[in-house]
Amino acid sequence: MRIPISWLREYVDVPAESQAIAERLAMLGFPVAEIVRRPAIENVVVGRISSLERHPNADRLNLCRVDAGADAPLTIVTAATNVAAGQVVPVATIGARLPHLQIERRTMRGIASEGMLCSPDELALPPEWFEADGIMQLDAESTPGEDVVALLGLADDVLDVEITGNRVDAMSVIGLARELAASYRVPLRLPSFENPGRGEPEPLARVALESSDCSHFVLQRFDGLRATLGAARTRVRLALCGVRPINNVVDVSNYVMLETAQPLHVYDATHVAEQRLIVRDARPGERLLTLDGIERRLTPAALVVADEQGALGLAGVMGGAASEVGAQTTAILLEAATFAGARVRRTAQLFGLRTEASTRHEKSLAPALAEIAASRAAQMLLGMGARAYAPVAAGEQATPRAAVSRRRDDVTRLLGITLDDARIAGDLTALGCSVVASDGHLEIGAPAWRNDLAIAADFVEEVARMEGYDAIVAAMPTVASHEISSREYELEAGAARTMCALGYHETITYSLLGARSDNAVELRNPLSEDHRYLRTEIAPALLAQLARLAHPYRLFEIGHVFADEGGLVAETPVLAFAVAVERSGEPPWRDVEFLRCKGDIETLVRVLTGRRPRVERAERRGLHPGKCAALLVDDVPVAAFGRVDPREERAYAAPFALYAGSIRLDRLPEPLVPRYRPPSRYPSTYRDLALSVGAEVSAESVEATTTQAIGDICTAVRVFDEYRGPQVERGRKSLAVRATMRRFDGTITDEEADAAVARAVEALHKRLGATVRV
Amino acid sequence: MIELATLLSALRERFAAAVEAAADERALDEVRVAYLGRNGEVTTIRRSIGKLPPERRPGAGKEINDAVAVMEALLQERHAQLEARDVEASLEQRIDVTFLGTPPQFGSLHPVRRVIEDACGYFERHGFAVVLGPEVEPDYYNFDALNIPPEHPAREGFDSFWVNDSLLLRPHTSPMQIRTMQLHPPPVAIVAPGRCYRRDAVDARHLFQFHQIEGLLVASGVHFGHLKGMLTGLCRTLFGAYQQVRFRPSFFPFTEPSAEVDTTCPKCGGRASACSMCGGSGWIELGGAGMVHPNVLREVGYDPEVVSGWAFGFGAERLALVRYDVDDVRRFVDGDPDFFEQLA
Ligand SMILES: [Zn+2]
Repeated sequence: MRIPISWLREYVDVPAESQAIAERLAMLGFPVAEIVRRPAIENVVVGRISSLERHPNADRLNLCRVDAGADAPLTIVTAATNVAAGQVVPVATIGARLPHLQIERRTMRGIASEGMLCSPDELALPPEWFEADGIMQLDAESTPGEDVVALLGLADDVLDVEITGNRVDAMSVIGLARELAASYRVPLRLPSFENPGRGEPEPLARVALESSDCSHFVLQRFDGLRATLGAARTRVRLALCGVRPINNVVDVSNYVMLETAQPLHVYDATHVAEQRLIVRDARPGERLLTLDGIERRLTPAALVVADEQGALGLAGVMGGAASEVGAQTTAILLEAATFAGARVRRTAQLFGLRTEASTRHEKSLAPALAEIAASRAAQMLLGMGARAYAPVAAGEQATPRAAVSRRRDDVTRLLGITLDDARIAGDLTALGCSVVASDGHLEIGAPAWRNDLAIAADFVEEVARMEGYDAIVAAMPTVASHEISSREYELEAGAARTMCALGYHETITYSLLGARSDNAVELRNPLSEDHRYLRTEIAPALLAQLARLAHPYRLFEIGHVFADEGGLVAETPVLAFAVAVERSGEPPWRDVEFLRCKGDIETLVRVLTGRRPRVERAERRGLHPGKCAALLVDDVPVAAFGRVDPREERAYAAPFALYAGSIRLDRLPEPLVPRYRPPSRYPSTYRDLALSVGAEVSAESVEATTTQAIGDICTAVRVFDEYRGPQVERGRKSLAVRATMRRFDGTITDEEADAAVARAVEALHKRLGATVRV
Repeated sequence: MIELATLLSALRERFAAAVEAAADERALDEVRVAYLGRNGEVTTIRRSIGKLPPERRPGAGKEINDAVAVMEALLQERHAQLEARDVEASLEQRIDVTFLGTPPQFGSLHPVRRVIEDACGYFERHGFAVVLGPEVEPDYYNFDALNIPPEHPAREGFDSFWVNDSLLLRPHTSPMQIRTMQLHPPPVAIVAPGRCYRRDAVDARHLFQFHQIEGLLVASGVHFGHLKGMLTGLCRTLFGAYQQVRFRPSFFPFTEPSAEVDTTCPKCGGRASACSMCGGSGWIELGGAGMVHPNVLREVGYDPEVVSGWAFGFGAERLALVRYDVDDVRRFVDGDPDFFEQLA
């Protein structure tokens, strides 16, 4: 909210420096987003045009005699067309400083001009909100010679203050003035909140609340009004707050809203049937032309203020054109109501409207503000010559809430600082609370205009704000032992560190994707079509990042994937990786990079689980059907990886060979603690075998068969080379196998080793059709 | 026949000269082989002993052995000389130490993870557990249980992605407060890092997905000062030993009292007036915090008259932006190797 400091000063004495005020507000919980500096304006005074005549030498210039408080009237030449004798206007005297120019004595077509009449633009006011056609008009009763800059607050800074949602009462000049007065412990100068309205109008003004979403409604009638230009200072203050001046009556309602936070609405009384307002749900199909000139079709979701004939306005949001206060208006009905915040918000959303009134109403105002605001508006309208009738109220009366009885040690308990009762009471009463200390307890009552103070912690926060949050002393807690496990996090952190050690770089990609895949969860309100679905896998995004690179690289990401399972969302933590490497000219039956990926993923699973995963051929969407494998731990598939399907690889247009895989972190079992077995004290021996086997025989089956046939003395069996080609029969391949053997109770003999290998050769032949090559 | 002594004497002299002349270990070894080797000159002389009368043979043998001992000593001495000379010479070697080190095959952790790990590590050292949870959460955990009933205006402030009437992508990690407290009786001390989502248009400061680090401590005797103490330590862990922390009043439905947490700008040390990071204020906003609202404690079955607690939620990307002086949050999702390498 924009607050001119000059307006604040009307109620409270604050430091001269805007920066100091901004800092204090921030430490009270109202950060200042911006200090809007006004341009320097000097020596502009009130002038009354006593006479006006055509410039003798120029048709388009006027010659004004202006009483600007000096002994002799000033002669001023102006090109403005909206000037007339009797007007009171701002006059920049010789030497005056305006935003874009300095006023000097100037001769215009032979006549010396002793100053300049100022347009709104020249006073750094938005001309489209003021006299767009020329000179700004001041109030007729202003004193010639008075300093216009001070009078209107033209040169004072404006604070753009952020107000948290719980403090709608502080979305106002008085609200913030009260905070500053309490904080600085200086007096708050409030205007009178005595309602001057007397007597009853004929017919009686009445309100009927037909919806529970309006708890309180103050209605007051004023007669004898004429809608004209609003008072200059009111108009300037509204404009500095970002509110467009309309006319003197509407301006009062907006002015009081900015001052008290309570939005007001004025109806032309002649357009309210029987002077009776009704708050109710809109009727289906009901139509309303709102003040912004748009005809709106209503539904019962909208709350309206209506008369017998139909809706007059959207409650708390915007009035209707039919009852608008305009040039013909002589009598008005003033509304100060308390609507349910949620209902106003829904009504505003329904029509995509956001107004100064709705932003306040939707935060649910305290009912007491309605009386305060009506009284303030009545004072101002009375000052404009209106006749004010007594207000009528409907709904619950604004009753003070019951005091909260609290333990004396609340402040110490929650803040860790110790304050005595008098100090606490001082802090709270400065904000308008009532405090009575009694027998170990404090009875605290919230001020009527606050709706956010209900429980002990609320009052503790008020004490903390008054003391300043800087008064809270930093201390280290002693954390008692507990049994909450960090296992999932440690698993992720361990996985990330291992991948890093394996040469992979961690990246982050979006969880929201544009392409729909099977079982993808769809968002109801996506930001854009590019991010409509939750990802079901991560690897494609990693491959897309790799495809943009000009060199080989390895990426991984740890994150969640999502699947729609019959309306429920299944969410799984996974680690995905992708690899781009130079294409190699390898034979179709060999893929070294596949084996490197396999080594990486096996290592990862072993580090995380303490187990060696089993690897078997698999098929996965997106991966090459012949170069894809699954890893199993205790027969549970935990991972899959492989060469990217060449058809998909082409789509990435990467100059590299791509590999990808993913691991389900949720399926990894608790890590197994490895057990140590001391090595044999006796040397081991090995035998190498050259085998010819069918092309489809797996290395793993050769190793397993050999290991089993050798028996206890076997330490390791490894297929360490594979060859296919001219030297090998079609449909077969040649494998080189090394079997290592040893005994724990003595040195193994050559005869033993040879016998074991002979057993293996026989078994390999029988089970796998292997023959020994010579 | 020439006297053996004369023969040996001449041999020794020639040997000494040859040893002296040997310029390196290889030449020296050649000398050794030529004189003392299996077919060397000494062997030839030894063989000639057989021609001597038997009574002179032992004397001759001793003479030869003495000569060999002298020669081996010479050899040893020269060997030591050459070795010393080589060591001396090797000390003169100079390489270009600025030549590129051979890069190892090593990856990197994402800066956001590094911030999360450092933050979580700090809390773990102080007895906190680290918990993870789902990103698609019912509104109950996101809002209702956190004292944000339906129709509460604060719901709108979270501007969430919805999956259906009651499921949404969590806009904050605070659901983990509820999940943890419902599973465990007090005391509870956790941090919960994780991915969150809000409907923010992507620009240099915003992504629609980000990571938050949630902290929660609930026990008897826990107060606001403890929050300030722990967060001061966190900022010192992340940004440097001299960080200060400032609390400003704020509002969150799930904490009361509530605070915005600022730390001194690590770039300018809270001094510069033209600092690009803090805009000259000297302070960096980190996020929200406060004392857990009694309604939240009651919701999970805790007694707010018996235990109290605090919670905070900081954006990890925000912490990483400040820590690594990154100019644009979109770099975190760009997958640019240069970005990873610079921050590795
Ligand atoms: Zn700075």
